Amino acid sequence: MKTAITIAAQEWRYWSRTKLASAVALLAFILICTSVFATFSQVAKEKDTRETLQIKAEETFRDQPARHPHRMVHYGHYVFRTPTSLAALDPGVDPFTGTVMFLEGHRQNSATFSPSYDGAQAGPFSRLTPALTYQLLLPLVLIVMGFGVVAREREAATDRQLVTSGISPISIWLGKTLALGSVAFLLLLPMLAGVALSESNWSIGLGFFALYFFYVLVWVLIITAVSTWSQRTSVSLLILLSIWLILCVLLPRLVAGAAATAIPDTSQIETDMDVIMALRSVGDGHNSRDPAFDRLKANLLQEYGVKRVEDLPINFRGAVAQAAEADLTAILNEYADKRIAGQRVQTQLVKSYEFVSPFIALQSASMVAAGTDARTHHRFLREAEAVRFQFVQDLNKVHEHKMAYVDDINRNRDTDAARRTRVDSENWRVLRDFRFNADPADTRLERLFSSYAVILIWLMVFAIAGLLGARRLPEVNHG
Amino acid sequence: MKKITTIEAENLSITRAKKVVVKNLSFAVKQGEVFGLLGGNGAGKSTTLLAFLGFLTSTEGAARINGVEADVDPAATRRAIAYLPESANLYPHLSARENINYFLSLAKVKSSADDIEMALNQVSLAEEARDQRLSSYSKGMRQKVAIAVAILRQAPILFLDEPTSGLDPVAIDEFNRLITKLAKSGTTVLMVTHDVYGACQVADRIGLLRRGELVGMFEATNDARISVDEVHQAFASGA
Ligand SMILES: Nc1ncnc2c1ncn2[C@@H]1O[C@H](COP(=O)(O)OP(=O)(O)O)[C@@H](O)[C@H]1O
Ligand SMILES: [Mg+2]
Repeated sequence: MKTAITIAAQEWRYWSRTKLASAVALLAFILICTSVFATFSQVAKEKDTRETLQIKAEETFRDQPARHPHRMVHYGHYVFRTPTSLAALDPGVDPFTGTVMFLEGHRQNSATFSPSYDGAQAGPFSRLTPALTYQLLLPLVLIVMGFGVVAREREAATDRQLVTSGISPISIWLGKTLALGSVAFLLLLPMLAGVALSESNWSIGLGFFALYFFYVLVWVLIITAVSTWSQRTSVSLLILLSIWLILCVLLPRLVAGAAATAIPDTSQIETDMDVIMALRSVGDGHNSRDPAFDRLKANLLQEYGVKRVEDLPINFRGAVAQAAEADLTAILNEYADKRIAGQRVQTQLVKSYEFVSPFIALQSASMVAAGTDARTHHRFLREAEAVRFQFVQDLNKVHEHKMAYVDDINRNRDTDAARRTRVDSENWRVLRDFRFNADPADTRLERLFSSYAVILIWLMVFAIAGLLGARRLPEVNHG
Repeated sequence: MKKITTIEAENLSITRAKKVVVKNLSFAVKQGEVFGLLGGNGAGKSTTLLAFLGFLTSTEGAARINGVEADVDPAATRRAIAYLPESANLYPHLSARENINYFLSLAKVKSSADDIEMALNQVSLAEEARDQRLSSYSKGMRQKVAIAVAILRQAPILFLDEPTSGLDPVAIDEFNRLITKLAKSGTTVLMVTHDVYGACQVADRIGLLRRGELVGMFEATNDARISVDEVHQAFASGA
């Protein structure tokens, strides 16, 4: 071990005396710090904004003056998905899925972006997140610094000199791995700082960081293994760049493509048309004379033992609004579930390819750990929908119970009737608070197990490859 | 004084790239002796050294150091040998002192700064060059650093592969004197070269290698060095 440390220290001296290596390391460090800082502050700001806007939206809704409850159904409400702490490092699907939803009666809107969100304002770093920097760029930096760690010695035949000094080839491999590993660890420090600053739950913070730590270690081992097997530095560099291209660019592309064709994401217009067709079977909730509600009417008349809707102790129009909303929501939910299930199959499919590339493994796992994966977003959609359905139906109940049917149908002709159909703003309290939380740390950690396993298998494969390469290190001919 | 055999090739044959490059080679070198293995380019000289270091395995016979077969325990044979390859394999980004310190620490040899200065004096490396990086050194200067490492390692056996090629005549003289001195102090030297004159100057015995086979053996006597003419004639006759 002492020998390995001596060799590692020597490698550090080599890097410090080589302009290219020092420049690359320094640039990488600056780039990483910038990316962490930029995303961190942007997400922190976003979190603040969304939390404030959420409270404001709730206050605004509840502070509305007295009016007809159905006007509040259309007035609507906003819910925000506040980012998780670790979204500061891996925003995951957030930048693509939208984080605000407008909730109103008779519709399920898709998530959009908050008015304050401006991707352009954040500059290029809104795309170059710390997660992507570490997943994609760090391996490249390590390749540039490490492709020659062993191949260089072999090319100059200094490996023979090392071995004739009495040290084992394994020590050479270990020393070089230690050297590159320590560089990698230094470059991971900005992420560690980011995790420490953003995440207060240490178990998920550690779980998240460990993913990156092992991933980067996989790359260190890939690099030292290839460098150990290569006869020349140029060959080592070429092989490593090809591996990077395949693992980090080509395979993820292919897998994403495969996922897209496996479950064709039916176009938005197509789905919209389908939904419109399906909704034809549901009556218009604004029109209580729609024949679709004849049955409801008959049931109610029978239940209360009266002959006319005017004689019902409740407002028939409110009952109709409720029934219509329930029917419509059932249909909308069916389509939403289908869409979510499709997307879920896609992410599952991508994840199932995690064994072909550590990049794919980390990318999926990182979002799970950060609570910014598609599954969490889907839960947001469902919870938002639950809030929507609840406040709309509660308002419809107010509509049903707090005014007379006769006043309701005459409110546009009779100002007194109109006044009587206005209900007090107290009724707007039916709106519940909405605070979206990602899955608890334990749940997320449980879902990470398979990813850890895959990454650890990669670790072992390349450690063994490096060791095997080291074993034949001095026996190779130099011509 | 009875001398013990330290380097021994016994019916050694080595195949490289499916070609037999060393054939049935046998010789033995005693402690404190300087043995020259002489031969033209591609005769199999470097290959023979690599076999003793365990970097190449023998197809037949054995290469032994202190009775230990290199194929069986290469770590043991390497420990006994200080090896100077054809081009001194040192680090160009390090100075002479840094190179020496690095290799000594790996070999777990403790040397004081004074020891290092003495060794560098012994190989007569210019004072002002000692803290410069080797990338600015000439071949002769690098060779000197490599020898300094070998001296400091105090390895009982010294392997030299074409040590004087590329050195100027003054440097060659200095070098030869140094080798003789080391041998006198007990170091066993196996030197491979194509330089007839140089070999005759330092070697106690010379083996002539041609296409992997030992074709002649010359020995210095107590009062006469090996005759350059004689060796030259034998060398040239087979070419
Ligand atoms: N790396 C190698 N791979 C295959 N054959 C080699 C290699 N190096 C040398 N040889 C062959 O082995 C023979 C002896 O080479 P070598 O021992 O280097 O000769 P010398 O040192 O006497 O000039 C030559 O024929 C050469 O072509
Ligand atoms: Mg040679």
